[in-house]
Amino acid sequence: MGKIKKRGTSGQAKNYITRTQAVRKLQISLPDFRRLCIFKGIYPREPRNNKKASKTSSQATTFYYTKDIQYLLHEPLLAKFREQKALSKKIARSLGRNEVNDAVRLEKYGTPKITLDHIIRERYPTFVDAVRDLDDALSLLFLFANLPSTSTVPSQVIARCQRLCHEFEHYLITSNSLRKSFLSIKGIYYQATIQGQDVMWLVPYRFVQKATQDVDYRIMGTFVDFYSTLLGFVNFRLYTSIGLVYPPKFNAERDERGAELGAFTLEGRAVGDGLENGDSLKTIANGHAQTTNPVEVQRQLEQVVQLEDSEQDQENDNQAGKEENDDALDKFETAGPEADTLAQPDLDSNQTASLFASFTFYISREAPRHPIEFLLRAFGCRRIGWDPVLGEGAYTNDEVDGRITHQVVDRPSLPESSSLGESGEQGQNVDSNSRTLRPGMRVPGRTYIQPQWVWDCINAGRLLRPDLYAPGATLPPHLSPWVQAAPGQYDPRASLAEQELDGEAQQAREESRNDGQEDDASSSDVESSEDGSVDGRMDIAGSDNGEDEVDEVPEEEDFAGFEDEEAGGVGSGNEHEDERSQHQKELEAEAAGLPFSSTPDSGKPATGRIGTEAKKRALKKQKEEEELERRKMMMSRKKRKLFEKMQYSNSKRDAEAEKLRSKRRKLERAS
Amino acid sequence: MASSEVKKKRKAVTRDVDSGPAIVSGDEPGFAQLDGTLAGSDDSEIGDNDDSIFDVGSTDESSEPVEDLSDDGGRDSVGSSDDGLSKGSIDQKAKIAQPVDIEVETTALSGEDPDDEEEDDRPNFRVQKDANGNDRYIYDEIDPDDNSELDELGPEENTIGNIPLSYYDHFPHIGYNINGKKIMRPAKGAALDALLDSMEIPKGWTGLTDPSTGKPLELNEEELNLLKKVQMNEIPEDGYDPYEPTVEYFTSKTEIMPLSAAPEPKRRFIPSKHEAKRVMKIVRAIREGRILPYKSPEEGGEDDADVQNYDIWANEKARPEHIMHVPAPKLPPPGFDESYHPPPEYLPDKGEKKAWEDADIEDREKEYLPTDHASLRKVPGYDNFVKEKFERCLDLYLAPRVRRSKLNIDPESLLPKLPSPEELRPFPTTCGIIYRGHKGRVRSLSVDPSGLWLASGGDDGTVRVWQLDTGRQIWSVSLSSDEAVNVVRWRPGKDAFILAVAVGDHVYLCVPPICDPDLEGASLEVLDAGWGYSSSTSTTKLPLTWTRPSNKLSDNGVHALISLGHTAKTVSFHRRGDYFVTVCPAPSTPSSSAIAIHTLSKHLTQYPFRRRLKGGGPPQTAHFHPSKPILFVANQRSIRAYDLSRQSLLKILQPGARWISSFDIHPTSSAISGSDNLIAGSYDRRLLWHDLDLSPRPYKTLRYHQKAIRAVKFHPSGQYPLFADASDDGTVQVFHGEVVADMMSNARIVPLKVLKGHKVVGDLGVLDIDWHPVEPWIVSAGGDGTCRLWR
Repeated sequence: MGKIKKRGTSGQAKNYITRTQAVRKLQISLPDFRRLCIFKGIYPREPRNNKKASKTSSQATTFYYTKDIQYLLHEPLLAKFREQKALSKKIARSLGRNEVNDAVRLEKYGTPKITLDHIIRERYPTFVDAVRDLDDALSLLFLFANLPSTSTVPSQVIARCQRLCHEFEHYLITSNSLRKSFLSIKGIYYQATIQGQDVMWLVPYRFVQKATQDVDYRIMGTFVDFYSTLLGFVNFRLYTSIGLVYPPKFNAERDERGAELGAFTLEGRAVGDGLENGDSLKTIANGHAQTTNPVEVQRQLEQVVQLEDSEQDQENDNQAGKEENDDALDKFETAGPEADTLAQPDLDSNQTASLFASFTFYISREAPRHPIEFLLRAFGCRRIGWDPVLGEGAYTNDEVDGRITHQVVDRPSLPESSSLGESGEQGQNVDSNSRTLRPGMRVPGRTYIQPQWVWDCINAGRLLRPDLYAPGATLPPHLSPWVQAAPGQYDPRASLAEQELDGEAQQAREESRNDGQEDDASSSDVESSEDGSVDGRMDIAGSDNGEDEVDEVPEEEDFAGFEDEEAGGVGSGNEHEDERSQHQKELEAEAAGLPFSSTPDSGKPATGRIGTEAKKRALKKQKEEEELERRKMMMSRKKRKLFEKMQYSNSKRDAEAEKLRSKRRKLERAS
Repeated sequence: MASSEVKKKRKAVTRDVDSGPAIVSGDEPGFAQLDGTLAGSDDSEIGDNDDSIFDVGSTDESSEPVEDLSDDGGRDSVGSSDDGLSKGSIDQKAKIAQPVDIEVETTALSGEDPDDEEEDDRPNFRVQKDANGNDRYIYDEIDPDDNSELDELGPEENTIGNIPLSYYDHFPHIGYNINGKKIMRPAKGAALDALLDSMEIPKGWTGLTDPSTGKPLELNEEELNLLKKVQMNEIPEDGYDPYEPTVEYFTSKTEIMPLSAAPEPKRRFIPSKHEAKRVMKIVRAIREGRILPYKSPEEGGEDDADVQNYDIWANEKARPEHIMHVPAPKLPPPGFDESYHPPPEYLPDKGEKKAWEDADIEDREKEYLPTDHASLRKVPGYDNFVKEKFERCLDLYLAPRVRRSKLNIDPESLLPKLPSPEELRPFPTTCGIIYRGHKGRVRSLSVDPSGLWLASGGDDGTVRVWQLDTGRQIWSVSLSSDEAVNVVRWRPGKDAFILAVAVGDHVYLCVPPICDPDLEGASLEVLDAGWGYSSSTSTTKLPLTWTRPSNKLSDNGVHALISLGHTAKTVSFHRRGDYFVTVCPAPSTPSSSAIAIHTLSKHLTQYPFRRRLKGGGPPQTAHFHPSKPILFVANQRSIRAYDLSRQSLLKILQPGARWISSFDIHPTSSAISGSDNLIAGSYDRRLLWHDLDLSPRPYKTLRYHQKAIRAVKFHPSGQYPLFADASDDGTVQVFHGEVVADMMSNARIVPLKVLKGHKVVGDLGVLDIDWHPVEPWIVSAGGDGTCRLWR
């Protein structure tokens, strides 16, 4: 006989450890344990069997992997935490002795510095791993970059987040790796493709964030610590990968004046040829347009001329490229609906780099500058001007600048007549550097668009008709670029007719028509049923002749026995049978959601036809259901349950789609 | 001499106290002067000094009673003591004589009144000279006293205002309260004193009660002394002397000579080597840079630490994820309804909006309500942004992660691939013919082996034979007026045309005179062959005998009668037609005679079971195996198979049903697959398929009926793999049940058709079914008095 196994020494009982046990084992406090778990990315597990994992009661507790906790035991951070604990004791002691200076000195210089570098390396052994996990990091850091500083969120943290976020945005601009963006009610979603990984994050709109009581900023602060270290390393890697120096030069003064992205100066790493052509020293912002130095103005003008030349070249290139554009990927269209569709790369960086390259934008003061500037730059636009109130770093602050091709406006409609040509000079400010028009003025020869145009163009990957997005125009709906059309799901991009199930529209039409006729129909029903009872047999025989295809239907079987009944000489049950069959038909029709009228010869041939069609549909549907029932009968109970569960989610999806379709139908009918 | 004079004077004063109270009233300056004089005369007469001191003390002591006296005398002396007269003058006046003293008093008296008046009439301003030398009136600040009339008066306060109280001297009251009631004069001191004097307070009385004893608490002498001492700020302890002489620990005297004559050691005058060593150590350490002067760390170092300035992935090496690691799921991308300007169909209507708002936050399917903003500038901030991000953080480190395998398969693929009904055709689908004629229920029916005739029997006690394909009734005989026909069965085999009918306690064997005469003759021959046999080998132990029925019946084609004594509910023929088994399931039937096997050729009835079947109640039904010498007997809960040749029990099947109503054996399965297949129907709505070699438990349990199953039947020819069951819910369900020759695969059962048509009368729907011997047709007997042919 083998050794008797003791309970709780192997298997799940040993593999899982409760949180309390873990904290005790590590000999740290619960908040420290929380920080450690956040840093190391350790999360609770759900044991397969709760009862087996817990050694005592079956109370609901959180379990961790014992191996995970053992792995934490060797963490160098643990020593730091202990040091910190010792220090806090020392501080408390000196405060107790009223030695304030000592306490201050201890707090100032004695605090152990926690570095998370080794954890970053450990959690993300390769760079791609880190990029894959960047979604949450970016969302949280962008949120913190937009928070006001409080006692719980110190200003250094916010400044650091802002710096990291702006650096990251600069990388996206330089590498043209931003792909999509979406204006939601929560904020602005962005998606970029970095090293083949799709990274999506959400940036809040610039409002003061409402913080509720139940938000613990210490937890979020721990995450921010970790994420900012991560994003720092990622930024370093990204910058060096495209030959830039990290960290970029940061001009605090310009940042003070609201330059945001323009406060950074990117430098190339190659020293030898970098300084020669001046391109390597790349100032993203075009703030020098503001300087009054005539030499610089001259230089700037030259630059503009050069730019225009280069644009022309580019256009020529594009024209030439159209003929022999072999590099571009072809679009694969599936021939049949049953085939699988493969995901195709939608945009490459060349395309994104040239989307807005040839335009000069001007952002009016009511439009959100930062996201528009970022998007435009990321998609190739190099000259963006804005109203001086929006901060420094604009290409031009002059609204009537002739070089501006597009103006982003978010105002009610502008009167057409009040263009600059008529109103002349009185609409302008005296200061020639930042002339602004009177509100409601228009500069001729310029495209006025609402901000949504920028987003829709980016998501569509091409320039859209700007007249749809003119100021004051009713905008087309803004759609999420991430939702793919799936079978059974409603797609607002496709027309209603494409998505409707067969007969759905007709049914809806009938329903809507019957809404008006309901009273008449109900009154006529009574009459017709009485008629049917008098010579219902003939009626039904007639109806049978009318629909030959339906004859196979089991419910019609009763009538096959007419001759036999006559032969048997028993006619007593006949009338009864007819009544019953009529009732049956009515029930069927009701189940199919159709208005039932037992008299197909009620005087309207059109409705009669529709009625037969509907009936056909209903019968077909019923047949299908019968078939399904028959097949379900042969499944095992387990499989049937699974099937029904799947059916449940599918039917929920279908109901949702159906609801949306009906809403759209109603809207289309109303318009 | 002046001093001595003074002294004398003082002495004189002490002597006659009564004479000069005003002088003795003892003001400080005078006393000091007295002391000074005393100090001055210190040298001359020391002996007198003590005396004088004593005298002064005595004057001090006596000053109290003196003052008391003066108080008694009236207010005059008090006024005199306040007088601004200098002491010196008093002294001088005192030197002169007594009468002078009195005079002073009188002047003091006379001076009092004008003083008072002056106070009343004094103007409430002072006059000063201003810078120009003019008069300047400075008014005193008016002190609004608390009793001003503006103040609220209490209900019992005097309202007479600012008038002297002496106006009320003649009245018993002193004024009026706010309600106009008189305020009576309070009791005067004299009256109170009189009262107090009249009471005698015992010594040590406190007026308190001792809580421990409940008696009044009285203080004894000691305690009173103690209290007195405490009151006097004295040390309360007894016998404590505050002025004890000091006892010195060390002497306060310093000695002139040293205790030891040893000279100072040299080491006290040379520098310490050890110290030099230690200092040198430190010096060396400083020189070598081991000890650095303290420098506070710089502030600027922090910013650099934040910036990552090296590539952490410089030599990256991919590491496969741990098998148990579950990466955090990414948040799903936003859908159309999250847009700031969604398509209008995504906007909620009023009902949905209200439902969303009314729902608890946890119950909401989406945390936001789709809203349409006409332009970007109208989009407000999102309130829950911080909260959502916080919850995401919580999810990342608090939520247990479980890998759930999501079944991303088409639910259609789960459905078993059934052959379409078209492939399984033919099977009965429609009601072809209805046979009407029976009054009351049709209990049983049977199609004859040729497939031309249908026999049926019902509650009306008649047996009717119908032409199957026309529905015409050909022959009918009434066998009983009060008892129902329970079973009708044709004898298998086409060589004879015999119908067995069980009515009440009897079993009749009929040859309906409807077939061609040759066949009828052959049938009669088969029936009549036994008569001789029974008479020739008549034994006494035969339990019952076969008899000929009455003439009336025999004219109608009924040719033999077996009286069982109990009601037979089932009759089942052996495949050759020579034997048939009847079962009387009633509980009253003795178990020995419940199952009877009848031999047609010998007119012999045997009871094979002497004892009752163990377990499962009385026998319900019995059938012969279609090809082997096996008899299957079903009681309520089990089916037993008996080998007839060896007379032994072969197998017990346990279908798991509560009450088996009927069963049937597959006609060809033993030939095809080697194992028998059997279906059983039960009153508890189950249809059970048994594979006898597989298990004593059913291979499939089908529950498709809402009511009890009355009859089950395989198609008798092996040609069509069909079987059907009839139920009280008025339906007949037709199944495809194919037994395949492959030993490895089990029978395939496919539901085909639900035949609806029979009406449910008195909770009874379809009572019996029978298949056509060759065609895929089925005949059913209904509780509604009709039979139906389905084809």
